[in-house]
Amino acid sequence: MAGQCSDYINNLNDYLDGEISPELCKELEKHIGQCNNCRIMVDSLKQTVSLCREGKKENLPKALENKLTNILKEKWNKKFPKQ
Amino acid sequence: MDEKQLVAKAQKGDFDAFLLLVNDHKSKVYNLALKMTGSVQDAEDIVQDTLVKAIDKIDQFRGESAFGTWLYSIALNQTRALLANYKKADLKPIEEYLPSINSIDTEHNSIRLFDWRDPHKLLEQNELKDIIDDAIEALPLIYKEAFILRYYEELSIKKVADLIGESVASAKSRVLRARVALRDHLSKVFEDNYGRTMQ
Repeated sequence: MAGQCSDYINNLNDYLDGEISPELCKELEKHIGQCNNCRIMVDSLKQTVSLCREGKKENLPKALENKLTNILKEKWNKKFPKQ
Repeated sequence: MDEKQLVAKAQKGDFDAFLLLVNDHKSKVYNLALKMTGSVQDAEDIVQDTLVKAIDKIDQFRGESAFGTWLYSIALNQTRALLANYKKADLKPIEEYLPSINSIDTEHNSIRLFDWRDPHKLLEQNELKDIIDDAIEALPLIYKEAFILRYYEELSIKKVADLIGESVASAKSRVLRARVALRDHLSKVFEDNYGRTMQ
C-alpha cells in the first residue's frame, strides 16, 4: 500500500478489533504515526465502542418476568397437551 | 445437564428444560431489543414474542447453532418486523452519515478532525449515556443491528454475518460504517460541548 488514508479505511475495524495481519498492522501503525487525522480517527473510533459499552445493561423488569412465566406455561401446555 | 440434553428434553415436552434453556438468554434478548428499539414497551413485546415463537419452533431447532444464537435470530426477525412499521427515515443512505470517511477520501490534509480528548470531562456521565443512546437509535436498522450484535453482544463477525444473513465482508462493512457514523454523531456533540466548556 502506498500509505494514502483511503487505502486503510476498510481495514480500520479489523485493526481496531486486533484482527489484521501483523504486516498490515505494522504498516497501518506507521501511517497513523505520521498522519494526525488518521490518529484522531483511530483514537475516536476506539473510544466509540468503549463509550457505547459503558451504557448500563438493563435487567429484565420483574413484572415482565412474572408475566412471561405464565404466558409461556400457557403456550407450552397448548403445544404439549398433557395426556 | 448440557444444552444438547436440555434441548432434547424440551423437544419432548419438558417445560422446565425449556425454562432453563431460555433463562440465560432472556436478559440478553431484552437488552438487544432495548438497544434496537429504544423503547421499554417494544423491548418487552419483543422478548415475549421471541420466547412464544421459540416454543412454536422448538421442534425445528436442529442444534446447528448454539441455542442462544437461534433465539437471537428469532429476536432479530421480531425486531425487524416491528421496526418495519415505524419511520421510513431509517432508510437514509449511510453516505450521509460518513462525512469523516468522505473527507479523508477526497480532501486529505484540507480538513482537521476534532480531537476527542476525554469525553468524560466534557459531559456528565448520564448526559453522555443519553447522547450515546440517541446516537445508536439514529442509526439505520441494518447498521444498528450489526453494531449491537458485534459490540454489545460481543459476537464474532462470522456469527453476526450468519444472524443478519449477509456475507462476512458485508457484515464487516456494516459494522465499520455504524462505528464511523456513531463517531461522527458523537464528534459533533463533543465539539459543541468543547466550545461550551472553553467559554
